[in-house]
Amino acid sequence: MTLETVGFWVVAVVLLASSLAVVLTPNLFHAVLYLAAALVATGVVFLLLDQPFLFAVQLLLYAGGVVTIVVFAIMLTERLVGERLVQTSRHLVNGAIVAAAVFVGVAGFLIRAPLEAPHPSQSVDTTAAIGRALFGPFAITLELLGVLLVVALLGALYFARSEE
Amino acid sequence: MTLPPALSHAIVAFIVLNALLVLVAYVTLLERKFAARMQSRIGPYYVGRPHGWLQPIADALKLMMKEDIVPTASDRWVYNLAPLVFLVPCLLIFATIPFAPELGVADLNIGVLFFLAVSSLEIVGLFMGGWGSNNKYALLSAMRAVNQIISYDLPFIFAALVPVLLAGSMQMSAIVTAQQGLWFVAYPVIGQLAFVAFLVATLAAENRVPFDILEAESELVAGFRVEYSGMKFALIQLGEYAHMLGTSFLGALLFLGGWLGPGPAWLGPFWFLAKAILVFLVVTWVRWSFVRIRVDQILGISWKLLLPATLLLLMATGFVVALRGAGGA
Repeated sequence: MTLETVGFWVVAVVLLASSLAVVLTPNLFHAVLYLAAALVATGVVFLLLDQPFLFAVQLLLYAGGVVTIVVFAIMLTERLVGERLVQTSRHLVNGAIVAAAVFVGVAGFLIRAPLEAPHPSQSVDTTAAIGRALFGPFAITLELLGVLLVVALLGALYFARSEE
Repeated sequence: MTLPPALSHAIVAFIVLNALLVLVAYVTLLERKFAARMQSRIGPYYVGRPHGWLQPIADALKLMMKEDIVPTASDRWVYNLAPLVFLVPCLLIFATIPFAPELGVADLNIGVLFFLAVSSLEIVGLFMGGWGSNNKYALLSAMRAVNQIISYDLPFIFAALVPVLLAGSMQMSAIVTAQQGLWFVAYPVIGQLAFVAFLVATLAAENRVPFDILEAESELVAGFRVEYSGMKFALIQLGEYAHMLGTSFLGALLFLGGWLGPGPAWLGPFWFLAKAILVFLVVTWVRWSFVRIRVDQILGISWKLLLPATLLLLMATGFVVALRGAGGA
């Protein structure tokens, strides 16, 4: 086993454990912390696949951005307003059945793939390649996403406006 | 000498980390002396034998021997982990900073992005501390911190992206090389504006005085670290100063030409250190000159002034780069 494989298994265990903890822990704040751990672990998976750009973006947007906003919401509602929010999993059994079905489906594909895939050679700078692709063939998609974000922003402004 | 690359990386990282810890300890001394001069407080002039050089060591020893108090009502795990979660990103940001050509832990080709991404994780440790302490003051402080970080992350990133665009690379060493002709702070109009925006956003991101509502001594005692004592307090303090120092290094690298300077090549790291300390002193200077501003003022500055301004600046930089072609100054 190479160092890389060991690293992958360590990250995989952390990722799985923290993801399970997100849905199983009753304490909402702890769930967010586990979510942060899961998101960082996902970033490390990207890093193990030689994608440092995706790793950094994952940390910046998800672990740094999304988690912060979720924490903000929880802090505002739970501790300051004084209402205890408890996260419960009422549909634990149904959820487990759906998850198992999805797992079987995904595993069906994985079994057919060769397990020991050769490590793809990194002849090109993937960061530059992502940049070229985004502003070359996918430029219109990128612009459309930008428009979508602007619409979302305007929507948020509309909801937050003062009633006059 | 042929060491396996993993081992030599580990050795370099170990050296950088330890040098850093010493540097951080003495930066606190520097700040104290500087502040004392500014405010004519004679204590820090005299304390300690040779000009107070032993003070940081005395501080460290004292903090290590202090009792470690864990509040009974605290969220134990979260409370105990918070200082570590806070400290690690603050030390990790130094990983991509090259102190001279070929002298750094890892000169990634996404260096600047890595710095920004990792330093954004610091907030997780901060609100873990604020929440885990189960203390009204700590929680309010963490709330304010989250508020402030959401507001100032974007202007900080946009300001830091201006040199990236000018250099045409996110690699730290490439950004320095691109400044060989002209430091980016001297770049007409764009450079100065971006540097000022960077400094203001830095002050806010480091929660230094005009923006230090999250530790506002007069209302929140000491903010999110109010319940921490002994070594845990020391770790938080260490993380905070390491973050400040790291951002100073980043500022010196992005705008002041990093290790470039007159004299032989071996002077490079010293030039870099001097520039970083200069940025640090400017930040400290502001800290000890201004008064704290209100929350709404802080948010207003970010959303109504800094964010649009840095966005426009970034657009203008884009036009300039498109006109003259990327790379080099």
